[in-house]
Amino acid sequence: MKRNRTPPGTRGPAWILAPLPFNLLCVTVGCVLLAHAPHMPAWYTAALLAIVAVRWWQRRRQHRRVSAWLRIVLLVSVLATTIAVYGSPFGREPGAAIVCGLLVIKVLESERLRDARMAIGFACFILMSALLFDESLWFTIMVGLMLLPALATLRALEPGLPESRWLPAFRTGGVLLAASLPAALLGFLLIPRLAMPLWGAPDNGVASTGISDRMAPGDLHSLLTNDAVAMRIGFDGAPPPDGQRYFRGMVLWDFDGQAWLPGAAARRPWPPGRVATRGPVTRYEVTLLASHQHWLFALDVPVEAPEGVQLGPDHTLWSIKPVDQTLRYRVASATGYRLAPEDLDPRLRAAALELPPGFDPRARELAEQWRAAAGANDTRIIQDALTLFHDGGFVYDLDAPPLGRDSIDDFLFDTRTGFCEHYASAFTFLMRAAGIPARVVVGYQGGYWNDFAHYLLIRQSDAHAWSEVWLAGRGWVRIDPTAAVSRVIMASTGGAAGDVGGGGRNWWMPWRDRLDIVNRWWGQTVVGFDALNQSRLFRPFGIEHTTVRMLGITLAVIVFLALGVGALLTSLRPRGKPRDALAAAQLRLQHRLARIGIVRGMTEGPNHFYLRTAATLPESAPVLLDLGAEYVALRYAYSEPPPEQVRVFVRRVRHFRPRHMVK
Amino acid sequence: MDQSLATATAAPIDSLPRQRLDAALSQVNEVLVGKNRPIRMAFACLLAGGHLLVEDVPGVGKTTLAHALAATLGLSFRRIQFTSDLLPSDIVGVSVFDRGSGEFRFQQGPIFAQLLLADEINRATPKTQSALLEAMAEGQVTVDGASRMLPQPFFVVATQNPLDMAGTYPLPDSQLDRFMLRISLDYPDAEAERRLLTGENRSEMVGQLTSRLSGADILALRRRAHAVTASPALLDYVQALVAASRKHPDIRTGLSPRAGLALLACARAWALLGDRDYTLPEDVQAVFVPVAGHRLIPARSLGRDALAQGLLESVAVE
Repeated sequence: MKRNRTPPGTRGPAWILAPLPFNLLCVTVGCVLLAHAPHMPAWYTAALLAIVAVRWWQRRRQHRRVSAWLRIVLLVSVLATTIAVYGSPFGREPGAAIVCGLLVIKVLESERLRDARMAIGFACFILMSALLFDESLWFTIMVGLMLLPALATLRALEPGLPESRWLPAFRTGGVLLAASLPAALLGFLLIPRLAMPLWGAPDNGVASTGISDRMAPGDLHSLLTNDAVAMRIGFDGAPPPDGQRYFRGMVLWDFDGQAWLPGAAARRPWPPGRVATRGPVTRYEVTLLASHQHWLFALDVPVEAPEGVQLGPDHTLWSIKPVDQTLRYRVASATGYRLAPEDLDPRLRAAALELPPGFDPRARELAEQWRAAAGANDTRIIQDALTLFHDGGFVYDLDAPPLGRDSIDDFLFDTRTGFCEHYASAFTFLMRAAGIPARVVVGYQGGYWNDFAHYLLIRQSDAHAWSEVWLAGRGWVRIDPTAAVSRVIMASTGGAAGDVGGGGRNWWMPWRDRLDIVNRWWGQTVVGFDALNQSRLFRPFGIEHTTVRMLGITLAVIVFLALGVGALLTSLRPRGKPRDALAAAQLRLQHRLARIGIVRGMTEGPNHFYLRTAATLPESAPVLLDLGAEYVALRYAYSEPPPEQVRVFVRRVRHFRPRHMVK
Repeated sequence: MDQSLATATAAPIDSLPRQRLDAALSQVNEVLVGKNRPIRMAFACLLAGGHLLVEDVPGVGKTTLAHALAATLGLSFRRIQFTSDLLPSDIVGVSVFDRGSGEFRFQQGPIFAQLLLADEINRATPKTQSALLEAMAEGQVTVDGASRMLPQPFFVVATQNPLDMAGTYPLPDSQLDRFMLRISLDYPDAEAERRLLTGENRSEMVGQLTSRLSGADILALRRRAHAVTASPALLDYVQALVAASRKHPDIRTGLSPRAGLALLACARAWALLGDRDYTLPEDVQAVFVPVAGHRLIPARSLGRDALAQGLLESVAVE
């Protein structure tokens, strides 16, 4: 066994992964795992991070490979875990969890430069896929910055970097990242957008956030503690006053004893009844974030539907396609209105009075008592109910106790603790039991008015449920029974702001609301830059509609121009001209070696360079050592190298082909 | 560079002094274990005809190095311990009146030696320091109007303690330039330290050393070193380094022409020690920091050696 002597400054054969790039690779993979952490189970992320950390520690202490068996076991565990957690290996979340696991296994087997390069490419792809889960500005910036360690790793994989120096690698990474920004911007603006996504990322049909069309006690709880933005509304004129900021989503007609559902009445083409408006009509634009539902939200009560959207009989907006992407639409609403004041369609009246038999006897009894006392005076019954909520020891609390089979009875007579949906549900039930047509409306209420950018910000925590009762001569009247509750216990989670009018919020919340301007800009300008916006790109230049072809040509022209300017600048840059034939031959040899990964450092002496190269390419070592001795002597042992010997050297260099490729 | 490609084309220097040179190197290496490079550097300085400044904390072997060199090189050796009350005449000597002959007779000072150890040079007053430095530059001393040649070869090893600055007169930058090389010995590594602890007494070892070279050998080797080829490409490199030091933003005063000469001479001597009769860029790189480190005057508070290293890393090699 003959062992090659390695010259000082190099460490093992050149294709073995050195500690610095390996460390950087571990950092990169850590970043990728953190970017995906929000949607993966915490223990899964922690386990993957721990595996990377253990491997890093182990490789630091001793240079030993991870056995193939262990990697196979890990592979099987990743697949099994994913299927166990998500139920299927297909879909967005399970897919991301699997590729994160695969990336970690790739780190375990990364022993060579080639492995590390592949791992980095893989890591960048997985890092970018995190944007499928979150498109917000902050997350995008964070993902962009997480590319830094990846680029630094690529730099560290190239030769010529001082050992164990992180900073130069990161500096190169930063320069690369900054240099890629114009190209990214160009691609963003000019690469033709598809009107529809190329592939629908299946997310197993689970609506992660937003109001659903079923309301049972406790259903809204997760929503009321959720700070995610639901929609943003810009008004043409002044915004409606606080008390009128009710955004109607859907109307629930059917009660099955537990939950309120839209029911048949919501979808029948029965005449909705006339709307008599008073006062001006409010016009506004809504930017609704993806809700994966058909319902659109509008200020109570919409009078004109946007294009492609149906105005339902109960004055709700229903879109044919579910809102799977951010949707912008314009609506007109009347805040002073009378809804079907003259007469109620008998079928609607029947639907608005229906109660499931055999449920909640005590509530029915109470309602009948009220009816007996009030006679034909509906208003008095409403007053009785609101007085009950106000004075009957009822408490507003997000941590409402669970309710039994007779949920309304349990709530009204036992727990007396709940939030908007409990009150709306109980109130509507009482009204129906007393013979007053009533229904539940679900939507949003309140919101934060951003006075600086003039828009209303609605979060999921502004979700709300209220009631509408039909009174002869006045039509459907909005009653918000939650507002009657006098005692409020704020949940520690800080949500439910819309429900009770904003008290008790954290100090930073106003700032977060103000800073939402940036998110809004990002959502509208960047995330919302779709095929339609793109077709208007050249409007400032007088081109009304930009076709895909024009975009392609523009992109090609700019790319060609950029390449041309780059080539011109490179050719104009003063370049060291070789001093003579000897130097030219030496440069040629260096170029040839550089192509297979052996780069001579700027300050590396020729003696050292040849010795290092010979150690890296054992098969070519004799020739290289010969050439080196010749060059060094010709260049440095003579004042004027003998032409005959220079010619021999030049000829030998021309015929030299490195025998071993660096991997 | 200890390793060299070029053996076929190298014309070895006259074999006899060469063998003696190797024997001298290995003998000093035996006394000062693990100090291969500083010792080689000291020899390069000797062969380049310069003087050596050893800057380090006490106890790392500065004086032992000087003793071992003196014993090995077969040179007449004197040592001056510099103190604040040392006078110039204590170094160069003084004329005393001889009653017998009725005239002044020059009493030679300790400077009339071939190898002079100037211990803790920064403890003496500037006046005394400059007496030594002038003698180093001229190779002669002038007392009472008469110039007296110093013996040849004349090699000064001065030591300086960089810490413990109380009551010292650090050599000014202009005077530092008179030392061709500045080296430090540093602490020994673990293995060398163990050998030091278990081995025999160093001063006894020094006492038993035999001379391996003679003054004549050294003069011959010096001539030999001066004749080592420096090709146009190498001179370009030396000039580029010197020019870079004058343009560097962090350097207030770059390298002087004398520094350029010293760099070339040291590189040649280094090549000679590597048994080559031509100079390589690697030789220049090897001696650059010891030659340039103490001559660069930084514009900001930067380490001089780090500055020299940075300079070296900014100039391309052909």
